[in-house]
Amino acid sequence: MKKQKKPLGLYIHIPFCLKKCAYCDFYSCTGADPDLVHHYISSCMLQMEDISESCRGYEIDTVYIGGGTPTTLPIKEFERLLSAVERNFKLSRYAEITTEVNPATADKKYLKALHKLGVNRLSIGFQSANISELELLGRIHTVEDFANMYKDARAAGFDNISVDLMYGIPAQSVQSFQSTLEYVCNMNPEHLSLYCLKIEEGTPFYEMQNTLELPGEDAEYDMYMWAVDYLKKRGYDRYEISNFAKPGLESRHNLKYWNADEYIGIGTAAHSYFGGERYSVIKNIYDFIDGIEIPETNMRLIEGSKTLSFRERMSEYVMLRMRLDAGVNAEDFAELFGTDFHAFCGKHLDEYVKDGFVIRQGGNYRFSSKGMFVSNYILSTVLDFAPGNSFA
Amino acid sequence: MQSEKQKHIRNFSIIAHIDHGKSTLADRILEYTNAVSKREMEDQILDNMDLERERGITIKSRAVKLDYTDKNGEQYTLNLIDTPGHVDFNYEVSRSLNACDGALLVVDSTQGIEAQTLANAYLAVDADLEIVPVINKIDLPSADVEKVRAEIEDVIGIPADGCPAVSAKTGLNIGDVLDKIISDIPAPGGEEDAPLKALIFDSYYDSYLGVVVYVRVMDGRLKPGQRIKLMNSGAEFDVVDVGTMEPLGLAKCDELSAGMVGYITASIKFIGDTRVGDTVTLVDNPTSEPCPGFKQALPMVYSGIYPADGARYNDLREALEKLQLNDAALWFEPETSIALGFGFRCGFLGLLHMEIIEERLEREFNLDLITTAPSVIYKIKKRNGETVRIDNPSNYPSADEIEVAYEPMVKGNIITPTEYVGGLMDLCQDRRGVFIDMKYIDTERVELHYDLPLNEIIYDFFDALKSRSKGYASLDYELSDYRESKLVKLDFMLNGETVDALSFIVHEEKAYARARKIAEKLKENIPRQLFEIPIQAAVGSRIIARETVKAMRKDVLAKCYGGDITRKKKLLEKQKEGKKKMRQLGSVQVSPEAFMAVLKMDDEN
Repeated sequence: MKKQKKPLGLYIHIPFCLKKCAYCDFYSCTGADPDLVHHYISSCMLQMEDISESCRGYEIDTVYIGGGTPTTLPIKEFERLLSAVERNFKLSRYAEITTEVNPATADKKYLKALHKLGVNRLSIGFQSANISELELLGRIHTVEDFANMYKDARAAGFDNISVDLMYGIPAQSVQSFQSTLEYVCNMNPEHLSLYCLKIEEGTPFYEMQNTLELPGEDAEYDMYMWAVDYLKKRGYDRYEISNFAKPGLESRHNLKYWNADEYIGIGTAAHSYFGGERYSVIKNIYDFIDGIEIPETNMRLIEGSKTLSFRERMSEYVMLRMRLDAGVNAEDFAELFGTDFHAFCGKHLDEYVKDGFVIRQGGNYRFSSKGMFVSNYILSTVLDFAPGNSFA
Repeated sequence: MQSEKQKHIRNFSIIAHIDHGKSTLADRILEYTNAVSKREMEDQILDNMDLERERGITIKSRAVKLDYTDKNGEQYTLNLIDTPGHVDFNYEVSRSLNACDGALLVVDSTQGIEAQTLANAYLAVDADLEIVPVINKIDLPSADVEKVRAEIEDVIGIPADGCPAVSAKTGLNIGDVLDKIISDIPAPGGEEDAPLKALIFDSYYDSYLGVVVYVRVMDGRLKPGQRIKLMNSGAEFDVVDVGTMEPLGLAKCDELSAGMVGYITASIKFIGDTRVGDTVTLVDNPTSEPCPGFKQALPMVYSGIYPADGARYNDLREALEKLQLNDAALWFEPETSIALGFGFRCGFLGLLHMEIIEERLEREFNLDLITTAPSVIYKIKKRNGETVRIDNPSNYPSADEIEVAYEPMVKGNIITPTEYVGGLMDLCQDRRGVFIDMKYIDTERVELHYDLPLNEIIYDFFDALKSRSKGYASLDYELSDYRESKLVKLDFMLNGETVDALSFIVHEEKAYARARKIAEKLKENIPRQLFEIPIQAAVGSRIIARETVKAMRKDVLAKCYGGDITRKKKLLEKQKEGKKKMRQLGSVQVSPEAFMAVLKMDDEN
């Protein structure tokens, strides 16, 4: 009997924003006119058509529309996009279809229409319940905007809502972060993402980092530790370093990234992992459109294409799985790669057990909370991505 | 009685303060005498090391022979002997000058006399040379020829009336300089039939010829086939070739006779056998007296040099060996540090010499280095009666073994505009200097004399001097003697373990401030690790400063979605690369950059 192919995830990048936030380094542009938006969606649809052939036989069971700000799209563009997904791929009846949403960009009517189109999960970028923090981050919405949209989303029928929050914001106190968390928990969303602000090159924050009063790693550590504990009490389990969910309501799409499962990226700057190869689409909306429409420039559409060596696949698997609370299981690893996990990496992780950074139960390795918070340090010691070491 | 041949020879040097235009003037003289055509003229042909050109200083001497016909149609041979232009190379300068009969003293007409102008002029006077002042840069709007003329007469005490005023840059009045060389600089003397006596003033290693030795023949004749002896080293060789240094290369000739400047090759393998200042004579018919003033050029500053990547130890050794082929003053021997692994203890003539060697190692041999704090040689009289010389803090005896400690002193001579005198006196005071006297050069400039401990100068004294005088003050110094001093060895411990590479010797009064400063720097530069790291500074068993590097609490990529895995991977890989370069000091990892940051001193130390 032929083994059923593992379902794919589909990511669609919408690179439009009303205004760029001071910390964000995702690819997006502001002030796009309706023609460009329409043109862009057409190109995404063409890209899906191009790809559909190679995805034959695969089911798509998660769709994630991210940005940018997807909800800057007029609803009819959204409709074109999602109908193209259905037309070109075998979309599971039970697919998780998520879109990111900014509290200032979607009204009651819009949310209703989204729900009707089949979107069944919202990820609301709220970041903070403190207005001065929102202003500093360059967010275009208020706390009330969030409250209203949340209410409207529930009314529109959304029963799976995630809220993005941020900590480590300049001048943010532990207390302020705590009140944001309490505020959001009281609204009872199904899922929470807590991201620590990172100053990225090429952002306004990067230019002004010397003048930003960043809370610093000790305060960030305290915030994180407090949050893990607090959210547990409020019924949210941490299932990934930065993600918390009520039981059974984890983000199925994002779990694909952390389980090293395959996914296809549509649109400019979107990343894919498919057929053992990682690649991304060119990070420029005009080059993307040209690449799709003009056959001669098609060559430039895909960037950084790389087929992973066997060793890289194993290292990536460990790197990604160790983000999860579940960690790595030696038996699963042996089944996937036919390699002894302890010899590959477990023996190095063992060195971090006695100081409480790594928790080992039999063949299962995972980070403790404090271990997660220094996971780069530990992983960069125990893993080696050097392609020369391939024994595939 | 001078021979006709001697009457038509002029042997001279050009001496100047740095940047006063010595090399440019040399270029113009070469051009003027048609030694090189404009097309062949590689700017500043005498300074042919890249580094020399960049820094504008001559590191090694070079010499060139020029043919010149004066306005009366008389033909002359001019030997221009270039001299290193820095205090570290004082001894080489004095030997080069001894090979000459006169010197052009170049003074910048916009700057006037500087510390090295004086130091070099005194060396020339000591060598009994006829000094011809040349006032340079008269094309610049701020040039003040008359003022500089007066300065030369007042401060150095040589007549400057009617001395050439030129622009080496534009070539203006270069003919005047040539006229002065012929009229004022005496022709060489020496008996052609006396026993051979020739002074070595430079040498370099050539992979085909072996060591090429530059000499000035004082008496006698030097020919191929002769058996020669170097009077100080005692080494003997058979002369293969003799010749002259033409502008574009060596040219063989039959003999070098008294008064001439030229080269010898004699299948000499080690440059160390041909020390600058040594005297060449014949084994069969030796001269009774060698040329005076020979000294072995001894290193004054020592430091440990280690490859940042321990695997490149052998590359470093080979590089040092290659540099030593042409630099007898560079000394090194293998040394092991617990912290830094395998490396070399190196000795240098001074700080500049050290910097040049380090830079050449990094640039020409593509090495990344970690260098320990420079040290001088201390003399320690121990209680058991023994006296030891310490060039490495690791070998410093424990306090209870020491009866008296001595440190080397220098006589420092600073020339500065009057407005900076206060700041510079504070600086010297702070560096434990002892004021000797102060002289006004004119109403605007002052000459300060201090006795200073060498170990206070080798850190950053030049930089501090420049920053406190907006770059206008100049310094010259010479080693004077050893003085009794209260010295202590300062050790640093990370997580309870002493890091040998960070130890250094310091005056008791300075120990606390230095210890605190370095502990702070260590704290700033040691990355947080998974555990807390105590930093302690100790004199003997006494802890005099402490800091703590807190445990790392956060090193995580909070956001990993949107499917961009490569970014996280790159980050981890970069971190891994960084870790490979780290030095493991016991349980603590320290990056080479952190070492450098800690070892690099600044004005406030």
